[in-house]
Amino acid sequence: MLFQFNRKREGAYTEERKSRTEHRPIEEATVPEYLMFPLAMHIGAPAKPTVEEGDYVKLGQLIAEKDGFISANIYASVSGKVIDISDQPTVHGKGPCITIKNDYKDVRAEPLFKQGEELSQKAKLALIEQAGIVGMGGATFPTSVKLSPPPGKEIDTLIINGAECESYSTSDHRLMVEYAEGLIEGIRVLVEVLPVKKAYIAIESNAHESVAVMKKAIIEHDHIEIRELETIYPQGSEKNLIKTLTGREVPPGGLPADVHTVVANVATTYAVYEAVRLGRPLTKRVTTVSGEPIKEAKNLWVRIGTPINHLIDECDGFQSSPGKMIHGGPMMGRPLTSGQVPITKGSSVITFLEKGDIVPAERTPCIQCSECLNVCPISLQPIMISNAYENGDIDEAEKLGAMDCIDCGNCSYICPSKIPLLENIRSAKSAIRARKEDK
Amino acid sequence: MSHSIALMQEKLLNTPAPHLYSKRKSSWIMQQVMIALVFPTIAAIYFFGWHVLVMVALGIGSSVAFEYLYQKWKGIDITISDYSAALTGMLIGLSLPVTAPWWSIIVGSAFAILIVKQLPGGIGRNAFNPAVAARVMLKVFFTPWITNWVTPQPDVVSTATPLQYIGNFSRAVPEHMGHGEFPGLWDLFLGIGLGGNVGETSKLAILLGLIYLVGRGIIGLKIPVIYVTAFAAIMSIYGNFSFTYMITHVLSGTLLFGAVYMATDYSSGALTPDGKKVFALGCAILTALIRIVFNFPGGVGIAILIMNGFAPLIDKHFASRIYGHKKRPAQEHS
Ligand code: SF4
Ligand code: SF4
Repeated sequence: MLFQFNRKREGAYTEERKSRTEHRPIEEATVPEYLMFPLAMHIGAPAKPTVEEGDYVKLGQLIAEKDGFISANIYASVSGKVIDISDQPTVHGKGPCITIKNDYKDVRAEPLFKQGEELSQKAKLALIEQAGIVGMGGATFPTSVKLSPPPGKEIDTLIINGAECESYSTSDHRLMVEYAEGLIEGIRVLVEVLPVKKAYIAIESNAHESVAVMKKAIIEHDHIEIRELETIYPQGSEKNLIKTLTGREVPPGGLPADVHTVVANVATTYAVYEAVRLGRPLTKRVTTVSGEPIKEAKNLWVRIGTPINHLIDECDGFQSSPGKMIHGGPMMGRPLTSGQVPITKGSSVITFLEKGDIVPAERTPCIQCSECLNVCPISLQPIMISNAYENGDIDEAEKLGAMDCIDCGNCSYICPSKIPLLENIRSAKSAIRARKEDK
Repeated sequence: MSHSIALMQEKLLNTPAPHLYSKRKSSWIMQQVMIALVFPTIAAIYFFGWHVLVMVALGIGSSVAFEYLYQKWKGIDITISDYSAALTGMLIGLSLPVTAPWWSIIVGSAFAILIVKQLPGGIGRNAFNPAVAARVMLKVFFTPWITNWVTPQPDVVSTATPLQYIGNFSRAVPEHMGHGEFPGLWDLFLGIGLGGNVGETSKLAILLGLIYLVGRGIIGLKIPVIYVTAFAAIMSIYGNFSFTYMITHVLSGTLLFGAVYMATDYSSGALTPDGKKVFALGCAILTALIRIVFNFPGGVGIAILIMNGFAPLIDKHFASRIYGHKKRPAQEHS
């Protein structure tokens, strides 16, 4: 309490609901008959299909290639036949998908390189790009782009983000506990690619098990350091992580590279290991399927393209009826209404919430408690922006920093009067953007 | 059996994030402040008798009634269930001496609710703290009736309060006051043998209330601590670093009650983290000034009201620097 005296809290102690999955080993999910691969499962330009309806594809074969600098390759996660390329439900609404009918033979394509080959620094970076690796914590920004900063923005700090701050989510945690060696190899690859001297692994202090395992795993690696962080939401957001670990602040509208930092998520780092050491493209990931309505909450190795319905079956279905299905966690995730939506590279957690949990109490007038200011990780005044927006004063909303909001949801979460602060701020942002485009 | 979500998906809600909300509600917060006021209420009953309960009940009852009637008359939403009016009434009841006539409580409530709170638009929109405004108004206009200070039972006689002896440019604590000895520090702390407004007599009870409020996360320590320490520092310097002089000032009058229950009011105080510090500092300086120079009853109330008036300006100026920006918003856009 005392140490909060001067310091702003910069986050909220949101409810933690990880207990159902945090001690449960990751299981291999069975593979469905049909898998869907959205061409836009990353930030940037959608990938361009390299296969046609009727083609036979192998597990690990390229099915869509990156289109432009910010884009990413997509690989088949099973062997079988391409039966359809059309618009299907995805996390971001309906969008073009390649559908593959699984032949259950798992015939493998050639690895990305021959084992035993010496790889140059350039070749390693190229492999990361080729393997289709994107930020797997949910941001899905192409990793190779992060690793090749423009001149003048040389990277000196690498942060491995193991701060899984959303409640329910434990996929990164389990990966650290069970796959520490591969992860360390992944970090070594990143250090070989980037000219950094030090890599930090950031873990929230509540994840005792992963802290302990990782500490053991890094004993022989002097250049890797574990940083235990306070368990507070949104500890895992890039901007906050960079500030906490380096004291630097990403400038408005900027990228981590602007402050000479690269942040890579734990799952991403593991994918880097598989690509550069084993020659495997990104075709599977660990996804937490949890929430009270789920009967057996689990962490699963999931082939990318698996529809969520299939994972619900993997978890023995529901024990109570869900009110919301969320791609991501309860603070920032996207609500879904179709179980046909497939798991993609950025699907770290699928959260189900009970009806009683999701309906906010009635909105009442703001009592000026200043809680929304206290929990805003980037020190905005959410209620002032919200008021400005509701009064139609877009200018004021912009002056108050609406564009800097990182959509963490803390303000709406904490508000005792249940004012839709983030919703208003988002609307203010669109209004500001729309106005800019008009000019 | 298939567990497919297909059958249920029509019923899934797709409102945007965040999908969970904290359980805290505004009305709960108001209740907590009322609970924290129970400590001084109990102390007041102990020192001044059951009449205190009548005062508190009268305050709550009339405040709630005025809010209800006003909103009914205006045809707007009735908000009495948010406990905010009840809290104002409780504060008014505790803000007066035990001799205050019953009508003064009702006049105070009417002023607080109708003029200070509802006129600008109701909860959260009032620039001034309704309860504080009411007590200052009563002190200014009805002084003969309500600053008729009394010491507690058994023999209720009009006396002066310690403050009248250490204010007004006096720089030391006298040994006597009126007919009796000047109260000891321990008596001041516990509230033994003191006159004054019923709620602020026992500093111990106020501290218990503070612990409750901070423990529940209703208020932070920032405002009370800065208010009291800054005030103590000024008084130390003015009193030639006499500890007794300083601590007597801190323990006298409304200072602690005001620092815990009044300066921390959400609606009338500052919103921004640094604004709160400036706000508390301003309260301290003004309180000291009023006590030293004017010897005016209700110095704490006036100080807080003046700072209430400045709160929006303070917030505008001291709004936090946003992550990644170089300056505070006020300086960036000037
Ligand atoms: S204003 Fe934006 S960044 Fe701040 S708490 Fe709200 S959602 Fe998070
Ligand atoms: S948290 Fe809600 S009630 Fe409190 S100041 Fe912000 S908007 Fe107002």
